[in-house]
Amino acid sequence: MNKQLRRAAYRTGMFLVSIALVAVLWELYKVVGPEKGGKLFGVAILPRSNDTAMPHLWEMLSRYAEPEMRGPHSRQIWLVVLQGAWFSFRLALVGFVIGSSIGVALAALMTRFKTMERGLLPYLVVSQTVPLIALAPLVVSWGGKLHIFGFTWPRWLSASVLGAFLAFFPIAVGTLRGLKSAPAASLELMDSYAASWKQTLFKLRFPAAIPYMVPAFKLGASGSVIGVVVAEISTGLKGGIGRLIIEYARQATGDPAKVFTAVFGAAGLGLAMAGLVTLADVLLMRNRPKETTT
Amino acid sequence: MSAVHVAGVSKIFNQGTPKQVDALVDVNLTVEPGEFVSLIGPSGCGKSTLLRLIANLLEPTTGAVTVNGKTAAQSRLDQDYGMAFQQAGLFDWRSVAKNIELPLELKGWDKEKRAARAQEMLELVKLPEFADLMPWQLSGGMQQRIAIARALAAHPPLLLMDEPFGALDEMTREYMQGELLRICAETKTTVVFVTHSIPEAVYLSNRVVVMSPRPGRITEVVNVSLGANRSEDTRAADNFFSGITAVREALRGTHADHANAGAVRGVEDR
Repeated sequence: MNKQLRRAAYRTGMFLVSIALVAVLWELYKVVGPEKGGKLFGVAILPRSNDTAMPHLWEMLSRYAEPEMRGPHSRQIWLVVLQGAWFSFRLALVGFVIGSSIGVALAALMTRFKTMERGLLPYLVVSQTVPLIALAPLVVSWGGKLHIFGFTWPRWLSASVLGAFLAFFPIAVGTLRGLKSAPAASLELMDSYAASWKQTLFKLRFPAAIPYMVPAFKLGASGSVIGVVVAEISTGLKGGIGRLIIEYARQATGDPAKVFTAVFGAAGLGLAMAGLVTLADVLLMRNRPKETTT
Repeated sequence: MSAVHVAGVSKIFNQGTPKQVDALVDVNLTVEPGEFVSLIGPSGCGKSTLLRLIANLLEPTTGAVTVNGKTAAQSRLDQDYGMAFQQAGLFDWRSVAKNIELPLELKGWDKEKRAARAQEMLELVKLPEFADLMPWQLSGGMQQRIAIARALAAHPPLLLMDEPFGALDEMTREYMQGELLRICAETKTTVVFVTHSIPEAVYLSNRVVVMSPRPGRITEVVNVSLGANRSEDTRAADNFFSGITAVREALRGTHADHANAGAVRGVEDR
């Protein structure tokens, strides 16, 4: 336990150090970088280091404590960003749950039927090459036409569906690999007990798949956040962090630090989702040999 | 009623293709209840294939396999046998006791009954205090003992073993052989045992079935006259060595057509 605690402390320490390093690099570039951007070998490649393009870190941080807009009733930015992040987090969570259910179901199906794997997998790969921006308005308009048994499609659900769309793929592929990782001898053992396919799936294949599923679910979790944020931006859904990013970006000339507050909010959102998966990982793998934990 | 009856069995893989392999041709074998029978022979002689046919993990191309008077398929469904492999193959995510309970769980036993049986099996393999440990906390020999406990958990009348001690060091291996004999005597289990090792086959068996490859077939059955009570002293006994010599000669005989075969490849001579 003590060893685990020390390892956790070490990891947290390294994380903080890496953040500090990026912060130092940012401020260092502001000191030495060209004010109006620069060219290397005739190509404009060096970013501008002026305060409009690269505000000081302390300006970004202090911006959190200031009101969102000028005016008497404006809330402070940290609250606005937090509320936006919470809104998007719930959408991403719905998307993640939908996406992982579909991904896991597809993986199980592809494990059960070889023909499914051969027939389906190429389509799954192709599905990920469709640009999300192009897909977003389609999903919104399809959803808007859905009225089944008194169920009307809420607008936010389109964003969740797009989150699910990005989440299901890594989960399906990772779970498929995991389900197939069960050793042949163990499968033979289950056969010798005349275990049904379902028993083999739940007592052998899924437990054996967990080390493969965890990294896949982490990718899926951050995918669901990206999907939701992009969907918010491209469908104009209000209330979430994606909307804040696009709004604040428009005000970047007058208030350059503002957009970064929302960008950090989105990053924190992705970390929170990945953190949830890590928590599940720790709980599921606590009794496994240490080498296989990720 | 014999425990295992194999009648006129052949197994041909990839029949009718250029990759056709005659794994077994016209095999006949009867194992009586309570008997310990080893299958020995060089790689490719079909001994593992024969074991899997008895276990109904493979279907014979021709012929019939009967286990406890039933078809092999029916006795697999009835869990009439337990199986152990070279790798213990315990599930990492289950405690030792839960691993032993696996076959009982699949049979639908309730929790108390399962736990009681698991404890009984742990005592049988002399690891009673290990119930709550995880498999990776055990040594290789202990893991293999748990695998045997798992194979015998449902009290099957027949135990099928595929080189179960092949991955163990020599000391542990001899200890495990003694333990296996004790366990089989206590539980009156019939055993079909695949091995590469001549001394192991002789020490454990009532009969040693000698097989040869291309095509896989039984060439000779050596009766071992070591009696029921075998101990570490048996390993120094004269009839132990004469048994080893008999099996070795039977194995060489199978290689007479492969000229100059001084040692039999794939069979350990220790």
